[in-house]
Amino acid sequence: MKSFNYVITDEVGIHARPAGLLVKEAKKYESTVTIVKGDRRADARKLMMLMSLGVKCGEEITVEIEGADEEAAAAGIEKFFEETL
Amino acid sequence: MKDKIFEVLQRIGRSFMLPIAILPVAGLLLGLGSSFTNETTIATYHLGKILGDGTVLHALLVIMNKVGSAVFDNLPLLFAVGVAIGMAKKEKEVSALSAVIAYFVMNIAISGMLEINGKILEDGSISKDVLSGTIASVCGINTLQMGVFGGIIVGLGVAALHNRFHKIQLPNALSFFAGSRFVPIISTIVYMFVGILMYFVWPVVQNGIYSLGGLVTGSGYFGTLIFGIVKRALIPFGLHHVFYMPFWQTAVGGTMEVAGQTIQGGQNIFFAQLADASHVTHFSADATRYFSGEFIFMIFGLPGAALAMYRTAKPEKKKQAGGLLFSAALTSMLTGITEPIEFSFLFVAPVLFVVQVILAGAAYMIAHILNIAVGLTFSGGFLDLFLFGILQGNDKTSWLRIIPVGIIYFFLYYFIFSFLIKKLNLKTPGREDDDQQVKLYTKADVNARKSQKADSDNEVEADPLSADITKGLGGKKNIDSVDCCATRLRCTVYNAQLVDDALLKSTGASGVIHKGNGVQVVYGPNVTVIKSNLEDYLETAPDIEYTKDSIDTVEEEETPQQEETEQKVTKTIVISSPITGVAADLSTAPDEAFAGRMMGDGAVVTPTDAIVKAPEDGEVVFVFDTKHAIGFMTDSGLSMLLHIGIDTVQLNGKGFEVFVENGQKVKKGDPMMKLDLEYLKEHAPSVTSPVLCTELEDNQKIRLLKDGEIKAGEDLFAVDFYE
Repeated sequence: MKSFNYVITDEVGIHARPAGLLVKEAKKYESTVTIVKGDRRADARKLMMLMSLGVKCGEEITVEIEGADEEAAAAGIEKFFEETL
Repeated sequence: MKDKIFEVLQRIGRSFMLPIAILPVAGLLLGLGSSFTNETTIATYHLGKILGDGTVLHALLVIMNKVGSAVFDNLPLLFAVGVAIGMAKKEKEVSALSAVIAYFVMNIAISGMLEINGKILEDGSISKDVLSGTIASVCGINTLQMGVFGGIIVGLGVAALHNRFHKIQLPNALSFFAGSRFVPIISTIVYMFVGILMYFVWPVVQNGIYSLGGLVTGSGYFGTLIFGIVKRALIPFGLHHVFYMPFWQTAVGGTMEVAGQTIQGGQNIFFAQLADASHVTHFSADATRYFSGEFIFMIFGLPGAALAMYRTAKPEKKKQAGGLLFSAALTSMLTGITEPIEFSFLFVAPVLFVVQVILAGAAYMIAHILNIAVGLTFSGGFLDLFLFGILQGNDKTSWLRIIPVGIIYFFLYYFIFSFLIKKLNLKTPGREDDDQQVKLYTKADVNARKSQKADSDNEVEADPLSADITKGLGGKKNIDSVDCCATRLRCTVYNAQLVDDALLKSTGASGVIHKGNGVQVVYGPNVTVIKSNLEDYLETAPDIEYTKDSIDTVEEEETPQQEETEQKVTKTIVISSPITGVAADLSTAPDEAFAGRMMGDGAVVTPTDAIVKAPEDGEVVFVFDTKHAIGFMTDSGLSMLLHIGIDTVQLNGKGFEVFVENGQKVKKGDPMMKLDLEYLKEHAPSVTSPVLCTELEDNQKIRLLKDGEIKAGEDLFAVDFYE
């Protein structure tokens, strides 16, 4: 399993539009991508779950990636976070 | 390389035709207006009662004069725009706008430099140590007098920038400014620096011209020849005023005692002699040598050149070229304004301009030698010849000698021009190659072009994306117009049935919206580049309608699909509208992320009522902190997002009142939220609210059940489950 931490810089947080983009990105990979905020976890492929986390600007999240292509997925998703969120 | 330079010069020349077309009219207005409002003229012929100050005719003439002047005063700007249009390869309108901006930017930059360096004083007046005539007001900006040349610098530069940058792609955040929108921006920046540079460069040019003046005076007939040649050669640069004005108006042009007073300048001496009632002898040809020769080539010579160009024009274009040349010749003859005719060959055939400069220069000398002393107020047209030559009598002016010399000049111009045009195959008006024409196309030209281009399929295939978009829109023949806004390609088609949404989406569109014959294809901010490419493509694409064949295939594809639909749908869940309002397809959402179905599929409802109700039995999964959206899970297992309004996250909860909380179970129709519609309408870009299923699998499809007014609780869309 791979994981990294990230502090959200997008001012609306993981809201509808960025969340939609994240789902799209996560669906590219076979691995499961889980966003962890505090004690709550959400599958990054489920828009609803993702948005229900209510991640806001300045908050730190942990991204966990597990599966066959986790190396590539971790790199891709981290890049996505840096560019988008 | 040489051919290329020549081709570019020709393009420049043709691009001049646009602004030149206005010159004959402006010249007539200016010539008539200025001749008959000239106080000397009115006084000399005792026309005060008809044309004097205060008469209606006088007022009309003054206005004509001003209208004509407006065109000539702003000629540099007209050339800037005209050249930019002519030289731009595509989207000429953008280039034109940029040229206007660049022209003002350049002049204001020069003006700023002049002010900073004390050439223009704080009160706006011009410092005394500045050479007179070198600073002029251009569109209200005190700047260096650069004449038409200044306009050409702008036109050529902007067109170059335009051709280079009008398809530029920028990083996503800046993509609104990409493509053609980038051209005015880059032009502004570049021309600020060009202006600063011109402040240093242009005065050198001006001083050189001014010092040429010293060469002329005191060197007799030869000096007159040099004066004539220099003056004519400077016309395209607009610098002739800097050069000749001192000869006409100051001691540079000689001094003479008339009626007991010392008069300076050639033109002043003539009018002093004219006004002096006791003056009965011949007027001084030494004084008039700076202008009397103009009658010879303006009334006789240049019309001969025009005739030569007309006779050598291609037969099918004679009529068109004739209109331009005839009016230009008439302007030259009547008013002595030669720019229309000179510019018509100056750039397409510089060698002809050399001929013109030499012949015209010689005319000044010949008039001097022949002791011709006809004065003029403005230029050497028939109006001035009549007033200051014929009416003064041959005894005083020797005006009759102009006629034989003029006739010789007419034939000289005619034969030399005809010979050179034919010998060198010069592209004077009416001789252009068809595919490079700037002037309005005749229908025959356009048709010829089309059939020509349609053959070259290779070119067409070079842009597969545009080709697919064209097909998706039903073929070129089906496309009426193409435009774009910030994110969408907006097209008008003749037959909306021919539009193939699936094909359009395969070109990278996130959504296709139909409104009657209008089709909007949502691509995102880089749409300006797509539009430019599509326009390029359409220009050369075969004019075909993708009718029978393509429709057949589309139907074939669709029919089995529909059968599939009927056979294999295993389950359908109907979702009701959570709110009363107007329902529509999701692709009409005024937000590309929703319209592009990035967040899921469903529909939009534009609320007319304030209460948002539970669409089905289910659970409120979460309410956003900013209250503008609710995540919902139906008991039937669908995750939904009810997003009220567009960009309402920015309102931080204002305008919303929520009655439910996370995890609460609700029944269909239970009120969940109350909206302050007035507030939302005022503060959000739109109240149109996407109602989505966020977690659809590949085998689940949305089917819109209602398009138009809908009440909360009525069926909005269905989710079909396939096997």
